[in-house]
Amino acid sequence: MIMERRRFLKLSAASMGCLLFDPALSLAAPAETKRLAMLYDNAKCVGCRACQMACKQWNKLSPVSTDPQGIYESPRRLDPNSWTQIRLARYPVSAERDYLFMKVGCMHCGEPACVAVCPTSALKKQPNGLVTFERDLCNGCGYCTQFCPFHIPQLEVINRLTGEAKSSKCTFCQDRVAEGLRPYCIQSCPAGALDWGERDAMLEKARERVAALKAGEFPQANLYGETQLGGLGRLYVLLAPPEVYGLPADPKYPAISTLWQKIVQPVGQAVFGATILGLVAAFFAARRNVHMEEVE
Amino acid sequence: MSVRLKGTDSAIMIRWIPKYTTVERFLHWVHTASFIPLALTGFVLFAPWLEPLAQGAAGVTIRLIHRIAAVFFGGVPIVYAILQPRRMVLNLKEFLTFSRYDLLWLKGAFPYYVLGRHEEMPPQPRFNTGERLTAIVLVLGTLIFGLTGLPMWFLKGVMPVWLFQLAVIIHDLMFIITFAMFMVHFYLAVVHPMMWQSLVSMRYGVVSESYARAHHAMWYYGEKRAKEMWEQHRREVGH
Repeated sequence: MIMERRRFLKLSAASMGCLLFDPALSLAAPAETKRLAMLYDNAKCVGCRACQMACKQWNKLSPVSTDPQGIYESPRRLDPNSWTQIRLARYPVSAERDYLFMKVGCMHCGEPACVAVCPTSALKKQPNGLVTFERDLCNGCGYCTQFCPFHIPQLEVINRLTGEAKSSKCTFCQDRVAEGLRPYCIQSCPAGALDWGERDAMLEKARERVAALKAGEFPQANLYGETQLGGLGRLYVLLAPPEVYGLPADPKYPAISTLWQKIVQPVGQAVFGATILGLVAAFFAARRNVHMEEVE
Repeated sequence: MSVRLKGTDSAIMIRWIPKYTTVERFLHWVHTASFIPLALTGFVLFAPWLEPLAQGAAGVTIRLIHRIAAVFFGGVPIVYAILQPRRMVLNLKEFLTFSRYDLLWLKGAFPYYVLGRHEEMPPQPRFNTGERLTAIVLVLGTLIFGLTGLPMWFLKGVMPVWLFQLAVIIHDLMFIITFAMFMVHFYLAVVHPMMWQSLVSMRYGVVSESYARAHHAMWYYGEKRAKEMWEQHRREVGH
């Protein structure tokens, strides 16, 4: 088919226009996605670590060798292959019991600092509240590991010299949740200490549990995660003050992250832009004003 | 050296005055060849609109280039200190020497560089005020880049996180200052019509006698004589 030049240009312009037009804009706004959350009931947890095993199983994480060290935790801390961990805290919580368990993992903050500092968008905050991670996009900069108020993301350093590394953290089994399933650790819990659902419903449930525990033998019972850092996606029914478990009572969004992302970087780009514009203007002014016959 | 004028039989004599040693020129270009990749790869992590270049394997490569370039960038002052320590100290001393004439330079810079008014420019030593300020920022910048970059490279996860966060932001601030400064330096050295000999001097190590006289009178005539000439000139033009 022979096409006139004018017609070709018209068609090209029209197709370019279609490409530039974001189809998402034309669709009606999707129904509001409800924020999801995990609820951990400290009073029910028996510290069996089935959740640790399940996590490794679903996410295909290698086992980590831990020598017997005469302590309960195994592994001792989170690592690139251990995204959740049961910790033990010594605390006289009742007359019969002087220890507490704690399930550690990504909090899926409402205001995640890791997402703000990630230069690759490997970490994203989803409308359903999950802070997801795409390993392929991660370049190993490790900023997330340095800005998380809970020190959760773990950096697997492959080569310190070249900087090759990969970050990792609990994703609430993002692949399962995307299919309408629950995180794998939840269904492994034999004690029913873990629950999953819409955050509002989990909060409701947590409040009821705290009230019941307070009325019973745990007067210090409290709910952790309702308001901290934009509200956490991991809610805790605790039997003792958060500090006992190593949780910061009032975790702070890193101020340097705000300063860096919201002030320094935009200001820097403005400085570069202004410098270029200034130099271009100076060049044209100098070209008009400088008489080359006077130049040595 | 005599230069034959193109298409004529006449020739002019140009006296060339040495300004930079071979080592200095070589290191200058190593500095340039390492600073540009450092700035560009750093900019990838800095500007959100360059995100695709920061992702995955591309990002790993970008970070590797940054590290390799950093070794050369940091190596320049070390090699200079080993090969020509006396020249280095001499230059550093000159960078740190300021006088009343530097205020006059600041006052005269805009009319001189933008409006082409040669008479506004007071006499200058071997490095003018702008060059000395640039050099000081660069020396401090190199130190700060090293003091923040090396820990970020080797001590991530070992050093306290607040220190790492501080290092990130200081590294960024220093980048903003030095990259903006680099653009001005590039403009003046390569683009500005009056400064064409600066590029010649970084290539061949020399400037012409007439250039030295016009741009670095205190170096050419000596400080006392240059100042006298400047004062006399100001009286004559009625300032």
